[in-house]
Amino acid sequence: MEVWLQLLVNGISIGAVYALFALGYTLVFSVLGVINFAHGAVFTCGAYFTYIFLGGVVGSNGLLAAQKLPVTFPLAIALVLAGLTAAMVGLLVETVAFKPLRRRGAEPLLYLITSLGAGVIIVNLIQLLMGAEAYALPSNILGSMPAVLALGHGLQIRTVQLLLLLVGGVTMLILNIWLNQSLSGKALQAVAEDATTARLLGINSGAMIQLAFAIASFLAGLSGGLVALSVNIGGPYFGISYGLKGLGVLVLGGLGSVPGAMLGGLIIGITEAFVPAKLSAYKDAVAFAFLFLVLIIRPQGLFGKPPIEKV
Amino acid sequence: MFDISLFVLMLLGALLALAVYLPLRAGQLSLATPGFYTIGGTVAALLSTTVPELGGNEQTYPLTSVFLELMLAIPLVALLAFLIGKPVLKLKGIYLAIATIALVEILRVVLLSSPWFGAAVGIFAIPQPFEGPEGYAAAFAVLLGITAWGCQRLETEPLGREMAAIRNDELAARCMGVNSERVKLIAFVLSAIIAAAAGVLAAHFFNSWSARQASFDASITTLAFVVLGGSRTWLGPVIGGLVLTALPELLRPIGDLRLIVFGLVILLGPIFIPQGLIQQKRS
Repeated sequence: MEVWLQLLVNGISIGAVYALFALGYTLVFSVLGVINFAHGAVFTCGAYFTYIFLGGVVGSNGLLAAQKLPVTFPLAIALVLAGLTAAMVGLLVETVAFKPLRRRGAEPLLYLITSLGAGVIIVNLIQLLMGAEAYALPSNILGSMPAVLALGHGLQIRTVQLLLLLVGGVTMLILNIWLNQSLSGKALQAVAEDATTARLLGINSGAMIQLAFAIASFLAGLSGGLVALSVNIGGPYFGISYGLKGLGVLVLGGLGSVPGAMLGGLIIGITEAFVPAKLSAYKDAVAFAFLFLVLIIRPQGLFGKPPIEKV
Repeated sequence: MFDISLFVLMLLGALLALAVYLPLRAGQLSLATPGFYTIGGTVAALLSTTVPELGGNEQTYPLTSVFLELMLAIPLVALLAFLIGKPVLKLKGIYLAIATIALVEILRVVLLSSPWFGAAVGIFAIPQPFEGPEGYAAAFAVLLGITAWGCQRLETEPLGREMAAIRNDELAARCMGVNSERVKLIAFVLSAIIAAAAGVLAAHFFNSWSARQASFDASITTLAFVVLGGSRTWLGPVIGGLVLTALPELLRPIGDLRLIVFGLVILLGPIFIPQGLIQQKRS
């Protein structure tokens, strides 16, 4: 029983981060109808920014060798700053890789390629500036908090896991409230529903798309920083596997569905946690096999609307 | 000096681009090509390193054995593509793309983790049917020639026209009596066959083989070959594959900046030449 619960806790905490990250894909998809393949690279940026804002020193291989910020921020502020910086990167990606195509009404296939190009540039810039080595966030970031909290009945949770869960949960809550209660959130939903009608009603859809990119990239940067809390940053290609898993979450939940992305993240996180340790090498395959099965049975994902074919 | 090994890689790039192009011609964005390519290579690597009878008596590995590998890999992959394609091709647009990405990931993880396929280190010392890269260049050129000829023929044949009709409007094509399920499946299987054949030759050329070939990056890079070359005629992917494979190597003198420039090309290409380098003649 306890083992079972423990796995559930592990799964939910990583699932919360998957969900957070996939929400970024979802936001962009809902307003533009395309997938931003640079999202994983922005996630990587978030992890590196977090490292820098926490006062980390750049290794010896990059152009910025042995540099560091003159100030060291506390963890909470560093995470927010990393998210904001990632949001700026996301806006830049939108301006360079999406806007020119959007203006022309280009076919969706082209967005895949341009956003991938943007991702390649970001990843290689990181490599150029920071080198290819792995980075670990300083071990004292949690301050006086214990590394592991006992929850009784032999159940325990790493403080980092709890942090992942809390930050992920609160961010998603805020996002939901914003989307459904605020004027700008509703405007974003209007653009997602029908961009032309929204424009006729006086909504600046270009600005809404930029807003979607900024928020999506903030979420990517934040989840990058959160993941870096629990595992080392393995190098500039850190974000690729998360980028793929995020795609899985996106499709599992249904393209463009916010509750779908949240549930999808939890499902994939929990599924992975329940893969027995002996088969842990197959963990990534299990998540994708699950995704594949869902697609075959329910092609529009768990929460997606079935497409209507119009003649 | 012209580097023949690079030329071999360029021909390989063109072949993989044609494999991506075929389903795309029928409007299906399938990113499964590196998966079938990896299966082809794995079949060749396993057979040539574990079956001593294939080795023959001469110094070099007999070409007939390579042919035998092809004859085994192609039906295997065709069957696999048929079985996978049946359910998968019901998915539309980006769902299909992501389902195929999922398939390639599953394959990669399984191959990398199970000891039968060389696990993470891969399969080494794959015997060489040719003494130098010239022989490989000839072999790849023949394979590319056959494939490109087939694709060019397809464009005027009913099947090719049906594919184009599905790309333009599947519903309309079905109304005109096109069996779109069958046409899409044929395109998918043909694409898998091209990728597998390229994989068989590539395993020998690279001398070692591991499932790392089946990466998400490889899926998207080959797609970039097609989009930048032009996705409307067979010549587009061929040119795109040749040029974009050569580009990072030709940029080697600028060192660390080369992949950034490569990224810039992929980023700016669709913005400035949305139809690709080779555009369709207007009729």
